[in-house]
Amino acid sequence: MSEPEKSEQSKRIHAIKFAAILSVVCCLLITGASTGLKSFQQANRTLDRQKNILRAAGIVTLDAKPSREKIQSLFLEKIHEVEVDATGDFMEAGQGKGLSLYLYKDGQTLKAYVIPVESRGLWGKIKGYMALKADGQTVAGFTVYSHSETPGLGGEIEKAWFQKNFIGKKIFNAANEFVSVSIAKGGVEALPQASRDNYVDGISGATLTGKYLTQGLKKNLEQYEAVSVRLRNSKGIADE
Amino acid sequence: MSDGNLTLKETFLRGIWKENPVAYQVLGICSALAVTVQMKTAIVMGLALTVVTGMSNLIISLLRKKIPSTIRIIVELTVIASLVIVIDQVLQAFLYDISKQLSVFVGLIITNCIVLGRAEAFALANPPLPALLDGLGNGLGYGLILVAVAFVRELLGAGKFVGISVVPQAWMDAGYAHMGLMVLAPGAFFIIGLLVWLKNSLPGASHEEKTGQ
Repeated sequence: MSEPEKSEQSKRIHAIKFAAILSVVCCLLITGASTGLKSFQQANRTLDRQKNILRAAGIVTLDAKPSREKIQSLFLEKIHEVEVDATGDFMEAGQGKGLSLYLYKDGQTLKAYVIPVESRGLWGKIKGYMALKADGQTVAGFTVYSHSETPGLGGEIEKAWFQKNFIGKKIFNAANEFVSVSIAKGGVEALPQASRDNYVDGISGATLTGKYLTQGLKKNLEQYEAVSVRLRNSKGIADE
Repeated sequence: MSDGNLTLKETFLRGIWKENPVAYQVLGICSALAVTVQMKTAIVMGLALTVVTGMSNLIISLLRKKIPSTIRIIVELTVIASLVIVIDQVLQAFLYDISKQLSVFVGLIITNCIVLGRAEAFALANPPLPALLDGLGNGLGYGLILVAVAFVRELLGAGKFVGISVVPQAWMDAGYAHMGLMVLAPGAFFIIGLLVWLKNSLPGASHEEKTGQ
């Protein structure tokens, strides 16, 4: 009489044992893979960020696929990382006192400056770079290297067709006020002529992504306004 | 166990052609729509899925006598999920650009019905070698359809073959335009639909013949 009960119980114990062993084995496997490959992944991410800085600055085109060596050498040669304080003065990078900024220099002349952009998105953070030309108001380029928007909709922000539209836009309006660059709802053609320079074409089906990214861009650019204003008034830039 | 009389070769080839997971079983359509804009992502996705189905079938077949039947679906999913995470990590380490393009779809292999379907339907009841071949065959069958769809979509939608432009400039000058529909999801629906129809209307591969077998 106790026979079937016992086997029922031993079955259950077997199931629990099996589940426990399987969990431990799978845990070890996943942990092993993620820690073992971490250094490779880190290197890839750094390289990807460098590539996006180069793309934003317009040193390589948005759809170019430069090799690893090319990215590293271009980055070393043309990009200088600095920090900037509230008044727009440059400091040595790595002090952690100011905001991080990347300068694109050709020899000694400043061609553009690249601002790291971190914005809220619909599903998660959107991270990228916006480069402004040395006149302090014209967008040289915009790139996104990390986001969790819906592929095909908000995810289009990482595509060249969308990012291309930022090139040549202005962050100041005709009345000389800081307005940032906004993502229009629909096409730019629908807007009055005067404000077209401050808008880029929106993505259909991604109104919210556009809205959050617009807010994020404004917030990020505002923090660097001191630099932009300085350059616009061309008082020159203190050499770091 | 009804598959016991199949030879190893038949087991392998069945998934690729006759019982192709996309064209015959109509599984894995979601990812087939998503990653077939370019040949490159389609190939990587096909290979990734082949590795996952092959390995999961092999592991589950090896464990098939030990797996308690009460928790077998959870066990299968745990094995599949672990494999997918490992593959995702490998892609991030060595094929970063492609891993970015595939974005969420690698993770979604876990929920791809083909993987769980083969584990449930074949691996649980068959020895390791046929199970491995069955998994690989089904993965390759899925990859085959993906590549075929991506070939048409990339060619018509962007005028490219594996990223290389093949439409001559003279055509473009003469007014040739890329077919925008092909880049969007509806384009994939049409191509997959046509492929299923084409495949099932070929002799020896139709639905009717199969059921009469």
